[in-house]
Amino acid sequence: MLITIPHMGNVYLAAKALFDGIDVPYVIPEPNNKDSLRKGSLYSPEEMCLPFKLMMGNYMQSIEKGADTILITGSCGPCRYGEYCELQIKTLSRLGHDLDFIVLDAPGEIGIDEFLRRIGKIFKASNKSRAEKLLSIKRAFNVIDLIDKLESKAHFLAGYEINKGDCKRILHQCKKDAFSCDNPAQMLKVIKEYLKKINIIPIDKTKNPIKLSIIGEIYTVIEPYSNLNIEDKLMDYGVSTKRLLTPSWWYRDMVLKPLKLNSMGLRRASKEYLPLYIGGHGRECIGEAVLSHKEGMDGAIQIFPLGCMPEIVSKAILPSIQRDKDFPIMSLIVDEMTGEAGYMTRIEAFLDMLNHKKKHKISV
Amino acid sequence: MHNCYSLGIDVGSVSTNLLLADNNNKIVEKLYLRTSGRPIEVLTKGLSILKDKMGSKDKIIAVGATGSGRQLAGVLVGADVVKNEITAHAVAASHLVPGVRTILEIGGQDSKIILLKNGVACDFAMNTVCAAGTGSFLDRQAARLDIPIEEFGGYALRANSPVRIAGRCAVFAESDMIHKQQTGHSTENIIAGLCEALVRNYMNNLAKGKEIVEPVLFQGGVAANIGIVKAFEKILGVKIIIPQYYDVMGAYGAAILAKEKVEATGDTSFAGFSIVNKDFTARSIDCTGCPNMCEVIQIISNGKTVAHWGDKCGKWGAVKSEVG
Repeated sequence: MLITIPHMGNVYLAAKALFDGIDVPYVIPEPNNKDSLRKGSLYSPEEMCLPFKLMMGNYMQSIEKGADTILITGSCGPCRYGEYCELQIKTLSRLGHDLDFIVLDAPGEIGIDEFLRRIGKIFKASNKSRAEKLLSIKRAFNVIDLIDKLESKAHFLAGYEINKGDCKRILHQCKKDAFSCDNPAQMLKVIKEYLKKINIIPIDKTKNPIKLSIIGEIYTVIEPYSNLNIEDKLMDYGVSTKRLLTPSWWYRDMVLKPLKLNSMGLRRASKEYLPLYIGGHGRECIGEAVLSHKEGMDGAIQIFPLGCMPEIVSKAILPSIQRDKDFPIMSLIVDEMTGEAGYMTRIEAFLDMLNHKKKHKISV
Repeated sequence: MHNCYSLGIDVGSVSTNLLLADNNNKIVEKLYLRTSGRPIEVLTKGLSILKDKMGSKDKIIAVGATGSGRQLAGVLVGADVVKNEITAHAVAASHLVPGVRTILEIGGQDSKIILLKNGVACDFAMNTVCAAGTGSFLDRQAARLDIPIEEFGGYALRANSPVRIAGRCAVFAESDMIHKQQTGHSTENIIAGLCEALVRNYMNNLAKGKEIVEPVLFQGGVAANIGIVKAFEKILGVKIIIPQYYDVMGAYGAAILAKEKVEATGDTSFAGFSIVNKDFTARSIDCTGCPNMCEVIQIISNGKTVAHWGDKCGKWGAVKSEVG
């Protein structure tokens, strides 16, 4: 067995830690790049949303390196993501690839026995003891928690840093160093060191930077290639950003869902505008917009792939929030285009507008 | 006697506009050139035309660049300000029509709506993903009907009963239009229908949920099309003002912003007109430094690399436009 995973933000680090820990051979695909986009869109339905295409690109790149097993998460709908695995399995088998797909749907949806059976496939390939396997799982979760924490610190502190570029440099160096570790304990140590580093970078607390929330469809907000590295760009502009949706948020939400204890704050916040789940993370997007305003952010940017049904619904609701709360929100739609000019125009104009609003205290 | 001018440059997808504004922000010279996909060539050509028009003792005291090619233009001319076109348009409009509340802007590849309060933008929207509802939509249909784009508006005005054409997408519109032609509708009615389709598309995509408050300005190259102006007035029910310099508003805004910047900093970074004699070429390279495989743009002048951008990691030294 040679296992692989598709990319989504920092997930590859946790996956690497897990596979290294249980000593199962794996391939981490190259970070999303134009080659993955090209290969992915070649084998995807034309009107499919961008995450599907990039994931297909990841598979193709891993298959070239001999991968025969693909580990992905499912969602049992109700947005296109729920159909991703079925369609991907069919497409890849039509292309003549004999692959084993391990789809991790929520235990609440498929039953705990089925869930364990699917996970078991991976662990059967490992010769490690039960205790070591459990420890590796724990470490993988630690990795994703810590790297997400570092990332969110870097994104927020970027607005306050005294030496321009500190936050971005630490974040990227950490990812690079963590990825070069072949031992999960070592990887954790590296990330912890960088957490210490980011905690002591010189900051100017009297600065009053623009503070933005990144909201919208989960894959395109998390995976930097899909949103043309918006968070890096905002760091360059000295903007503080916050993003709730991360892989570590996602797994907690999954675990708490059967108990209905997940996203309590978001559900309360979204109640006035969208009191029910409409698929994807549409409701979360609305809740985040309301919460961001409460937390004193200056505005929000919603990102979603062309054709994303739940986010189209939220996009239609966001102007009401903007009007009611005097809270500017801009929507950006991403697809296969990699030309940045128009994208940057919107971001820069939005930042200009927020700057003016802040300076002159005008309402939108 | 010599004059001091600020130079505004707007490198757009369809047109490249240059203008000179005097000390009182009055436009003394303006150029509207077709970009034709060759921004560097057109820009240097425009500069040499301006140079010839200026007196030998006249001076450029500030330079601003905007438009989707602003980065490129900024590097070439040594701009004091490199600004996105939304802000530039808003600045220009509130200079020409103080108190303006709504700007409708339709250019070659993009269309925007900007809402202003107290002279600054407070909300905007720009077309996403596709170019339906922009000038290129009209260009395409005009070519299809074999009518010069300049005469398009006149045809629309002569219509007695515009036909309904699906405006969601240029491809849909084209097949709808052909079917209407085949059933015998007049060219005038079809063109008027197209104008209304474009305005409907604009309203649906950009203006949805936005309050259109007068005064309403319409600018960008498409504002020359009287058919579109009438369609806007019909659908919005308000008076549409076309500013005198509707086609070079971005460049005008850039010139004003550059002048303000230089007044604060004291000196311009303008590279001088000598650049028109230099030979600039842009080429893209796929960086192989890491698996990100960034497409890096290299600007080469006389065998020497003068600028780079497009990299994610910053190792090539990116040039950034300004915010704030």
